[in-house]
Amino acid sequence: MNPLHGKLGLKIAIGVVLAFALVPFIPDAHEHYLFFYLFLVFVNIIVAQGWNVVAGYTGQISLAQHAFFGIGGYTTALLAIHFFEDGGSYFNPLLLAASGVVAALFAIVIGFPLLSKLAGDYFALGTLGLGEIVRVVLIKGGRATGGSAGISMSPEPFETLMPHYWVGLLLAAACTLVVFLMSRSRLGLALMAVREDSIAAAASGVPVLRMKVGAFAASAFMTGLAGSLYAFYVFAVSPGGFLNLSWTLYPILMCVMGGSGTVLGPVLGAFVMTAVFSAGNVYLPGVHPIVSGALIILVMLFMPSGILRMREGRRRRAKTGQQVEKGSQASGVAPSR
Amino acid sequence: MSELGLIAELLVNGVLFGAMYGVAAIGLSLIFGTMGIIFLAQGAMIVLGGYAAYWAFRLLDVDPYVMLFLLLPVSLLVGSAMYQLLFRRAAAMQDKNTSLLIAVGLSFMLESAMSLVWTPDPRSITTSYTSSSVHFLGMNWSITRTAGFFVAIASALSVTQFLRRTMIGKAVRATSEDMTSAALVGIAPHRVNMIAFAIGIALAGIAGCTLAATYTIDPYFGFLLSLKALIALALGGLGHVGGALAGGVLLGLIESGSSYVFPGWGDAFGYAAFLLVLMFRPQGLFVRTVTKA
Repeated sequence: MNPLHGKLGLKIAIGVVLAFALVPFIPDAHEHYLFFYLFLVFVNIIVAQGWNVVAGYTGQISLAQHAFFGIGGYTTALLAIHFFEDGGSYFNPLLLAASGVVAALFAIVIGFPLLSKLAGDYFALGTLGLGEIVRVVLIKGGRATGGSAGISMSPEPFETLMPHYWVGLLLAAACTLVVFLMSRSRLGLALMAVREDSIAAAASGVPVLRMKVGAFAASAFMTGLAGSLYAFYVFAVSPGGFLNLSWTLYPILMCVMGGSGTVLGPVLGAFVMTAVFSAGNVYLPGVHPIVSGALIILVMLFMPSGILRMREGRRRRAKTGQQVEKGSQASGVAPSR
Repeated sequence: MSELGLIAELLVNGVLFGAMYGVAAIGLSLIFGTMGIIFLAQGAMIVLGGYAAYWAFRLLDVDPYVMLFLLLPVSLLVGSAMYQLLFRRAAAMQDKNTSLLIAVGLSFMLESAMSLVWTPDPRSITTSYTSSSVHFLGMNWSITRTAGFFVAIASALSVTQFLRRTMIGKAVRATSEDMTSAALVGIAPHRVNMIAFAIGIALAGIAGCTLAATYTIDPYFGFLLSLKALIALALGGLGHVGGALAGGVLLGLIESGSSYVFPGWGDAFGYAAFLLVLMFRPQGLFVRTVTKA
């Protein structure tokens, strides 16, 4: 029994979150680079958990996360400049919630046709196309979306990074909690059944399409929240910054590295990968994408199922015996299609 | 020029540029067919080939179309090495995320390495004939674009013939059809994968040379090119060489046509066509047989 899944684990988790919540009270903590690093980690945890829900648990590889991130950011910016001209938009929970909801609604509207028609690689490719369409629409949106320059919000309310830190921590913890509760519920079981074998799941009475769309929407909701939070940090949303494919690739990287389809894998992945990217930015400016790229390759080559899954994988192999091993060696390549 | 002439020229350019998408798509198709990997670094490899041609031209004064043949053996070797080093293990896994992410990592690495070596400024090869064109059928045909088109056709034909006539080509086709059965009749999957991968990279080299000879390249152009190749692949149907080329040409037409009617929206129309085809004709537009075991 993994201690992290028991009652003790929950207590530890609450303790850790509280400890992080107290960090800003350390004098001058908010001026340290590590403080900014932690904020980035929280944003990344939210997007990584978003991808985890739809791809890790439900098995639908979405490559449109940057679209949801962008929709979240743009919703926040548009609402802020149109309805809160006199201020009051800064960290307004209404804006945060609206950004998540708009992204989720978009996911539902687009999810039914896409998910009823496409599965597997085709769904991944379809979502990739979807993200690009959203990007073009935002660029060509004219006055409404500010074109390729995007929309700027007033940076006036900014004083310190503390509200970002706390809201980020709260949302990251909440998303992780949601994933945790989901993974132990009937709902989570249904999602995993869809991932493992959607035909068998349908035969057992799982409403497969609704499950997939639901997971897609939940994923979009989380990612939209992260987009809104990030918009409050940069105060300017633009297609280049928000519709950037990195917002799809990084969460995948973090999930896969930590272990996708696990509760804590994305959290671990977010901490590690953000550290790598930040350290690269500080110590190797200019060269660091090369290092990051090399690191991605190395991780994939040597721990393809993530850090958390390594133990599990070893155990599973020991249990299911050697036929699997032998079988995959004989053909050299696992029969996939 | 008359409106009609302009449209004709636009369509011709769409076809000529689309052929390049087609070459990239053939490479993707071979790799996808055998290994089931979406090789997102294909575009970055094309741009790398373009920079190789650029350097050969600037430093050694080698014509890009000569470089195309010089690059061929090199890129075959690079492709084989890449498969052995990076994809051999990942290709054997059920989980295709791993190989997708390796390709993404490779793409990142290449992009930033290229912008370090050649700076992010756009580069182009200017030969004596780059801007010249031939007047034919009442239109101006740019020499480099037309040459690119014929290179694309030649590549597609040679790959098709290779797949049809040679034993290794048949093994590649058998593996794309059914991996397990192919292994059962004695085809070594890794060898076939390696060959398919090497040809894919060689096609990237070819596409890179013609691209650099015709247009400007920059280090970050690769990813967009990968996406376009994917669209072309989906339009033409996964795993069909001729279809991939036709898909590329069709995408070029869609883009140039729609950007004439709605300037700036060309990309969106390309992606929309991609989505629609994926949803309603996932086997591709140019494939007659629907059932495939």
